[in-house]
Parts: sequence; C-alpha cells; structure tokens
Amino acid sequence: MSQANGPNIALRANGVWFAYRNQDWVLRDISLSLPRGKVTIIMGPSGTGKTTLLKLLAGILSPHRGQVFVLDHAIEKRTQRNLFPLIGYIPQQLGLVRNLTALENVLMGALGRCGHGKVLLGMFPRPEIEQAQSALDLMGIGHKASEKVFRLSGGERQRVAIARTLLQRPRVVLADEFVSDLDLALASEILGRIRRAAEEEQITFVMSMHRVGLRDFGDQVLTLNHGQIVPGFPTQNLQAQSF
Amino acid sequence: MVKLCLAFRHRIFRHSLSEVRVGINLIAAATALLLVVVMAELGFFDGARLVRGLRNLGILTSEMIPPDVGVLPIAGKALWETVQMSFAGTMLGFLASLPLSILGTRHLFPRLLSTVARFVAAGVRTIPVLLWAIIFVILVGLGPLAGTLGIAAYTVGYLAKIYCELFEGTDPEVVEAVQSTGASKLHLVRFVFLPEGANAILTQLLFMLEYNIRASSILGFVGAGGIGFVMQIYLQTLEYRRLAMVLLLILIVVLAMDGLSAWLRKRFLLVAQT
Repeated sequence: MSQANGPNIALRANGVWFAYRNQDWVLRDISLSLPRGKVTIIMGPSGTGKTTLLKLLAGILSPHRGQVFVLDHAIEKRTQRNLFPLIGYIPQQLGLVRNLTALENVLMGALGRCGHGKVLLGMFPRPEIEQAQSALDLMGIGHKASEKVFRLSGGERQRVAIARTLLQRPRVVLADEFVSDLDLALASEILGRIRRAAEEEQITFVMSMHRVGLRDFGDQVLTLNHGQIVPGFPTQNLQAQSF
Repeated sequence: MVKLCLAFRHRIFRHSLSEVRVGINLIAAATALLLVVVMAELGFFDGARLVRGLRNLGILTSEMIPPDVGVLPIAGKALWETVQMSFAGTMLGFLASLPLSILGTRHLFPRLLSTVARFVAAGVRTIPVLLWAIIFVILVGLGPLAGTLGIAAYTVGYLAKIYCELFEGTDPEVVEAVQSTGASKLHLVRFVFLPEGANAILTQLLFMLEYNIRASSILGFVGAGGIGFVMQIYLQTLEYRRLAMVLLLILIVVLAMDGLSAWLRKRFLLVAQT
C-alpha cells in the first residue's frame, strides 16, 4: 500500500496501468507527482492516452493496476461522487447543458453542496447564485448570464465551463484539451485567467494539450507518448510530430 | 512481395464484394416472389372482384356527396369528446412514461431495475390501443373514461421506450462533467437528462398527441366513447352523407393539430437546435 501525498503534492499516480479492452494497454506504468497550486500541462499526440489519464486522475475511471492519490486521499471508484470538493473536471467538449442558461450551468458547480428540495425546482440558495454570477464576472461574461448556452460562442462556453468549476471550489482542476478549438489569442487569454485563478485561489490546474505554442502557460510540462510518460522529451521533437 | 500481398488482398476484397452483391440480389428476388404469392392468396389478382370494387367506390362516393351538415351539432359534440380523450390520455401517459423511462435508463440505475422497467414498457406497448380500450371498457364500463385510459396506457408504453433511448443517448461527457460536481442521480435527471432531451421530449409528445387523435376516432367502435360511436351508427344505417360530414370534421381536426404541432415545434424547438 502506497503512502499518501506529501504536503506540496496535489496529485500523485503510482504505477498506473489501464486498458479499455483486456491487456490492450492505453496507459502503462504511469507514475507522476503534480505540485500544489501550480499549472501542469500534459502534452502528447492525439490518441496517446491523455484523456484516459485525466479521467483516471479525476476518479471517473479506475486503474487496473496502481493507485491515484489526490491530496491525502486514495481515489477509489466508490468514492468518486465524494471527490467533488477535491477535484473538478472539464471534458474536451466542456460538458455544458445546451438548453440551460450560462448561470444555470455555472450553478451546477454547487450541486454537491446543495440538497434536493428547492434545487430540483430550479431554486438555488441566494449566496450560490451571487457566487455563480461573480464567477461569470471573473471570466468576463457576466452580461451573458441569462443566455442559453447554445447561443454562446466557443470562447464564451469555455469561460462558462471554467466558472462552473470555480463555483465547485475544488482544490484540483483537470481540464481535457479544452482550449484546442480556440484561436491562439483567445486560448492565451483564457489560460491567463486560469493562471491568475491558480495563484489567487491556490488551485492546482492540470491540462492536457497538443498545441506546443501554449506550453509556456504551465509551471510544469509532462509529455505522454504511447501511453507512457516520456522524461525530457525534447520540444523540437514535439514540433516535428505536428501535434 | 508487398505487391503480391496487395494483389491478394484486392482479390479477396473484390471477391467478398461480389458475394455481397449476389446475396443482396437473391434476397431481393426472394422478397419479390414472396410478395407475389402473398398478394395472390389475399385476392389481389382477382380481376372481377377488383373491377366490382371500383364500381362500388363510384357508388359510395356519389352517396356521400354532398355531406350532410345537419349532423354538425351531434358530430361536433362527439368529436370534442374525442379531442378531450386524446388530450387527457396523452398527457396522463406522458406523465407516467417519464418516471418509467428514467427507471429504464441503464446509466442511472442497476441493470436489474432498468431491465424490469423496460420490460414493463415493452409489455404495455405490445397491446394495441383498441385492445386497451376493450380492456378498460370491461374494467370501468362504456364511455370516454375507458377510451382515455386506453390511450394513456398505449402512450406510456410508446413514450417510455422512446425516452429510455433518448436518455441513454445523452452525451456521456455532459453526464461525467456534472457528476464530477457531486450531483446526485436526481440532480442528473433534473439538470442534464431532461433539459438535454427537451427538444426530443416535446417533439415525441406532439407526435403522440397527433397519433392519438387519429387513433381515438375509432375507439367508439368498441364503446370507448368519442366520434367512433357516431361513425359506427352511420355506417350500420348506411347514412353515408352523414358519415362524410363526420370524416370531414375529423380531417379538419387532424389538420389543425398538425398545424398546431408545426407551430409549436417552430416556436420552441428550432432555435434550440442551432
């Protein structure tokens, strides 16, 4: 049994193996430690297992071998629903509900704290609504709070997804390729906001990415190739593979 | 060597393609032959009978024209009852189908529970609406109550099946993202499955209402209320001009319902699909 994380480590994976089909390993013997309050970028070509790794770190998938720790907790399948104060997850397509407004989507970040009762009727506690509005303001789209998500642009949707995760108030945020579809200027602006949030709120951000041009936003860059962490993978090789 | 392998693969591919073509042709020929045999057994090649049918069609049409407007008060009242039955039956069935379809969604509940819910929905759907009407006539007696319950029962079976498939088709990324916020199953239903499926839920509900208005016009034949009872009397007494008026009224109601559905879809759904 492995020990829990040290005080400066937010996420740790110990010898993690994973396969969707028997023995067809997507991830092989992954071991990593991600520092608290920092931005870590996981780079690698498409189909190399970045999404799978993030889902394992988020507790959505369970490893076949090895173990994942978030802060001082070992992640197990049965505890996944209880991880919400620790881990926030933003999938590649953002996971927003298109027929709800931006504010309603952000309020979903508070579902773990709210009971059922009035919330099921769409009535959230006043403080949660105010904080959701503040999170949208922080992302610069407070004026779009009552717009349905299907009416928002790609960049605005990214900000709604971040605001939802901020309202959830997790200690670690895992984001899967979520700026891939944006132009470089917009992606840089959103990543800049994430860096500020990481510093101000001491949130650990882990993002998968295949665009080499954005890697400078990370305090630490890890490279995943053929399901394994590649130590010291040279930058020029990443460029040559045209991720 | 590589060329040899490619040539071999190409040959296999061509061979399998031609086999598929032969198979499709054989199935098409067998289906056509079966259709001819079945049609012959059903009397489709009995020329004298078909000619007699055409002549009767002419007589029937001439006896239906002009439609008798004198039956408007009676037929209008019966048709209103049919519309009421369809509306109430559809809405009751819709309300019952939602929890059943949620129970039948395998993402949310254990496999055993969802299988039982789906089995119940399939069982209810197996029985046609006319048979449901007969069953309810036996249970609650003659009249529109039996028809309404029959429509509701059939609607439950149909909509529960459609909504089960709809909820299971919800984007798993959305489910995962909201689940990771600590949402419960009830939260998921309220904030993911229902709003994500809202367009299809409304579309299927409107389709069901249209269908039930058409289907319920014959429920009166078995004593389950509505315009069918009036139609049956006019058919038995050979009062075809009165029957023509009733058919015209049904046509008007069905067209109005089609128009209303189209308007509702345009008003509430199209914008949501952009």
